[in-house]
Amino acid sequence: MMQSEDQQYAIEVLTLTKRFGDFTAVDGVSFEVRRGEIFGFLGPNGAGKTTTISMLCTLLRPTSGTARIGGHDIIQEPAAVRREIGIVFQDTTLDERLTARENLHFHGEIYGMARSEIAARAATILERVGLTDRADDQVLTFSGGMKRRLEIARGLMHSPAALFLDEPTVGLDPQSRRGLWGYAQSLRDSEGVTIFLTTHYMDEAEACDRIAIIDHGKIIALDTPSGLKGRLGGDVISVSAADNQRLAAEIRERFEIEPQTENDALTFRVDRGDQFVPLLFSRLETPIQTVSIRRPTLDDVFVALTGHQIRDAAPSEGERLISMMRSGRGFGPGRMGGPAMRGRR
Amino acid sequence: MAVESIPRALDQGRPRTRQPSELRVIKVVWQREVLTYTRDRPRMISGLFMPLVMMLILGEGLGNSIGELGGGINYRQFIFPGMVAQAVLMNSVFTGASIIWDKQFGFLREILVAPISRTSIVVGKLLGGTSIALLQGSIIFLAAPILGVELTPLIVLKMWALMAVLALAMTSLGIALASRLATQESFQMVTQLTIMPTMFLSGIMFPVNNIPAWLEVLAKLNPVTYLVAPLRSAALSNEIAANATGANLVTNVKVFGHVLTTAESLAIVAAFVVFILLFAVQSFRNQG
Repeated sequence: MMQSEDQQYAIEVLTLTKRFGDFTAVDGVSFEVRRGEIFGFLGPNGAGKTTTISMLCTLLRPTSGTARIGGHDIIQEPAAVRREIGIVFQDTTLDERLTARENLHFHGEIYGMARSEIAARAATILERVGLTDRADDQVLTFSGGMKRRLEIARGLMHSPAALFLDEPTVGLDPQSRRGLWGYAQSLRDSEGVTIFLTTHYMDEAEACDRIAIIDHGKIIALDTPSGLKGRLGGDVISVSAADNQRLAAEIRERFEIEPQTENDALTFRVDRGDQFVPLLFSRLETPIQTVSIRRPTLDDVFVALTGHQIRDAAPSEGERLISMMRSGRGFGPGRMGGPAMRGRR
Repeated sequence: MAVESIPRALDQGRPRTRQPSELRVIKVVWQREVLTYTRDRPRMISGLFMPLVMMLILGEGLGNSIGELGGGINYRQFIFPGMVAQAVLMNSVFTGASIIWDKQFGFLREILVAPISRTSIVVGKLLGGTSIALLQGSIIFLAAPILGVELTPLIVLKMWALMAVLALAMTSLGIALASRLATQESFQMVTQLTIMPTMFLSGIMFPVNNIPAWLEVLAKLNPVTYLVAPLRSAALSNEIAANATGANLVTNVKVFGHVLTTAESLAIVAAFVVFILLFAVQSFRNQG
């Protein structure tokens, strides 16, 4: 019998580590994802998101540590893990010459679904992602958002315990992005599936049940979005002047606060924004052009935790991963695996 | 399995999946190959008509000036099995290229992350390529009466068997090349460098026994030569029977002064096919 914690967790990660030569992409990461949770892995490009997801999906062998998905060990039982998971990659992996339905049927076959269930399941899942009326059209006639929805449907076709989405909204227009989130949440409810996704968009992370913030291969915070923001406390003040440098110097001098520069404005945190702003105006000599008070966002949390903004993107992790694989340092679990992930956008 | 004995509130009614059997995977991969082929009309049409057009031009054009090759076989009859072989050869190599298509469109990842063995995938692809090439080669049969070749059901069966072996070998070659290359462009470069000489120096277009020595050596080092010869003997068996003497040298391969029988040719072919099959499976399994 499995222990009781297996009922609670869809994914358990135990000091998972991946090194490429001298470079440590993922550094002793441990966390659990509960059943039915939407779990976000948030971090800048190059933080180790794709490497982690590749290891969890048995596409990349960990240097040390392991993980269990649906109770199956990713190193000991890669085939069982693969049946427990659905994967949506950054790039589309559909056969565009086949119809939407044919893509799903093919998937059902290679994941060993009962023949009697394949057609009914394909119809249900197409309905859930709103593609019923296009089910028998070739995928090459689909828009980017429709393709992504079809890929999510395909990932769910064999009713996995966990669905992995690697940067699912990259390259989609804002409307498709919002739509996709609607689908993800309703699928979580209707399918009872655990969703694990990576993103570097803060607004997407807000929609997750819990978020792990990863930077330089390490998890530096893990909590609900409101829990993370609550840790910061207070309000964020954003001010700008014609001469921001002079303004910054003055703020440092008068209030002993170190402001951050963010989009042509200076930001800093105070306990009570409403009380602070009048003081700001009365004590500063530099003419202020704009001022705003807001509650902390995940952006602020990220900056507070890492000292840099998430948009200060390092070279894409995916690109690094590709070059590693090209240089022959890839890995295939036995005869059926293989680092097939491409990080290109 | 222990996990399944635990009630999982959220998983109620989750259908169970099982490890799919190798045969099931082979079948579905084969089906997809054939289905996507039928959707690719330009490829179908060019694959069907290119050999037909070439055969008519070569057969009628060269046939008039060359006349009889010996043993009562004329060039128009000679070129018929050659063109069947050419259709099979070209189509099967290019089916191997479907792996490059899958790579470029990302679909290969969908296949490679599934809980299935790479060997069944490659076997499915081999059978898909073989089926398509057989179909394309069989279209040429329609031209047999025009070229003065008489086909019987037995001849057709024999030819199909030999064509299947050729298709299997050449699809393997295509898969091996495609597994090692990343783009359509590089695949086309490599196939032009390797397939064109292989094709021209295999007895498809001219007999390999009475050509300049250096060409003859190359042709006889080419394993495809030993498949084209039995195919031609089979295709022209009625015409050969009617002209008992001399036809052997036109259709069969002479090595070190000995004219190989069909059985001897096929022994050489068998060794080659086993080798290239294993090479293709290995190449596909090893790719990143």
